[in-house]
Amino acid sequence: MARYTLQRFIYMLITLFIIATATFFLMKLLPGSPLQNQEKLTPEQQKIILDKYGLNDPIPVQYVRYLGNLAKGDLGVSFQYDNRPVSTLIADRIGPSAQLGFQALVFGTIVGILLGVIAAVRHNTAIDYGATVLAVLGISIPSFVFGGLLQYYIGVKLKLLPVAFWEGFEYTIMPTLALSVFVIASIARFMRTEMLEVLGSDYILTARAKGISGFGVIFKHGLRNAMIPIITILGPMAVNLMTGTLVIEQIFAVPGLGEQFVRSINLNDYPVIMGTTIFYSALFIFVIFIVDLLYGLIDPRIRLAGGKK
Amino acid sequence: MMNEKQLSPELFELATERQGDMEKINRPSLTFLQDAWIRLRKNKGAVFGLVMIIIIALMAIFAPMMSEHTYKDQKIQHAKLPPRIPVLEHIDWLPFNGKDMNGIDVYEKRGVKEYYWFGTDDLGRDLWTRTWYGARISLYIGVLAAAIDLLIGIIYGGVSGFYGGRVDNVMQRIIEVLVGIPNLIVVILFILVFEPGIISITMAMVITGWVTMARIVRGQILKLKNMEYVLAARTLGASDARIIGKHLLPNVIGPIIITTMFTIPSAIFTEAFLSFIGLGIRPPEASLGSLVNDGYKSIQTYPHLMMIPAFVISLLILSFNLLADGLRDALDPKMRK
Repeated sequence: MARYTLQRFIYMLITLFIIATATFFLMKLLPGSPLQNQEKLTPEQQKIILDKYGLNDPIPVQYVRYLGNLAKGDLGVSFQYDNRPVSTLIADRIGPSAQLGFQALVFGTIVGILLGVIAAVRHNTAIDYGATVLAVLGISIPSFVFGGLLQYYIGVKLKLLPVAFWEGFEYTIMPTLALSVFVIASIARFMRTEMLEVLGSDYILTARAKGISGFGVIFKHGLRNAMIPIITILGPMAVNLMTGTLVIEQIFAVPGLGEQFVRSINLNDYPVIMGTTIFYSALFIFVIFIVDLLYGLIDPRIRLAGGKK
Repeated sequence: MMNEKQLSPELFELATERQGDMEKINRPSLTFLQDAWIRLRKNKGAVFGLVMIIIIALMAIFAPMMSEHTYKDQKIQHAKLPPRIPVLEHIDWLPFNGKDMNGIDVYEKRGVKEYYWFGTDDLGRDLWTRTWYGARISLYIGVLAAAIDLLIGIIYGGVSGFYGGRVDNVMQRIIEVLVGIPNLIVVILFILVFEPGIISITMAMVITGWVTMARIVRGQILKLKNMEYVLAARTLGASDARIIGKHLLPNVIGPIIITTMFTIPSAIFTEAFLSFIGLGIRPPEASLGSLVNDGYKSIQTYPHLMMIPAFVISLLILSFNLLADGLRDALDPKMRK
């Protein structure tokens, strides 16, 4: 296990290094200049500004400096927000995104598990079909469409919840709902399949024969075992929440990391783009790493097979 | 107490003919794909998906020709017209009567003679043509994703699994690094460097799109290549290419079809998502994602601008998902629910 962990950890570092390098060189290829109103500046003024940011040094020098700073957690300064450090910008903006992601994950997981379990217990009834249809719809309807529908019907037509902005808990409800649809749907589908398999196994029959109530069998014996493989979909889920926040924050005008990222892309704010890209990648790689380890810990078959899936 | 008279010589005739009948195979023998097709036809969701995909594909090809407007014609005096369709306009409860949210017939008020079947956007461009034009782009992305999966994914996975050893080791290390990089990041980086548009999305997908397929094909090939029939073929002197092409790939066809079918909707979603945040298709061209985004700007006053493309993109992804689910059940009995 220790060897496997170390091996995974090294891969994690290599991947991060490749992403950091690729990001750096791609940014150097970018068209467009970070200088605003370039026409009005004299060449001397341009040179002073570029020198200040170290943009006149040879690219290898810039690259080494960039990697060194990265190792210290320094992601450079933003062009767009008056030279504020990118790491501060990310730290300022991560709050709403993390809150949305967390709420959506918790809400989505609970509803998804319930939906999946109910569908499996009432297998081949109208409830099961209804849940299955809901799950397919939830996977298929893009979050930006669902967010728009919520905004239009609940926000504009019924005026139940605020349409946008970020000023209190009621402002988080609609974005959380929009973000959690995919989580609900994929967990429900997964749970249903797993639960059906578990409920058909012999130890469930034994438990029933011993006279344990239906509720006890389903939740104590069934659910626990059916939940183990859910760890495998945590990785894709993390990616989905990440991409989800990009659009959902834009739709609901949430001052989160995703909204800032999209804006920086449109404004050619390279340091923020690079910093956020690396931050997102690191987060994603870390989640995958943890998922791999957890899965190895929980399922002994993976450990025995030499740490390979 | 058997009566001897009842025992006639006929009873002792050889039963050759009847035995032959019993051995006869009455049902036609089905190939793997025919069998899967029969099972797929029984799945209502999958049939619905297939029919919808065909309809959307036909509309994407022919619908822009049905309208006299092109996707980029701007006519500012015809801006923001609600949908109006001949014949259907007389049915009051359908939203195709050319009336806006306050029940005013905008066409009559502005004296517009033409029919805009899905209405027009804020520049007076015909939404019908633009929607189906956007559907073309979504379908192109779907086909492209499938092609990348089939070409690069199968070859990479096949070579890696079949040759094993050091080749496999190196190829798997590359995959492991690629898997760690979020697709979205690659796509966004590509779009930043090259200009936003269909070519950047295509290139980014070529780099990231095939990894899942390669992993699945490799796993299957690893399992199959040690089977006796492969050994038999090898003993008979079959070449590597022949073993891969004739013996291994046909047995992996199930997982290959399933993976391809699940790749398509997620690729379509990715393109719509990128166009939505402004990184994909740029105006005047239209993609379903960018149309939904445009529609947002006037969601309170002209909801049809968002609803129509949103409905088409959702229906398209839903249809592909339903078909993929159905194919998975039909092709892989083990994975059946």
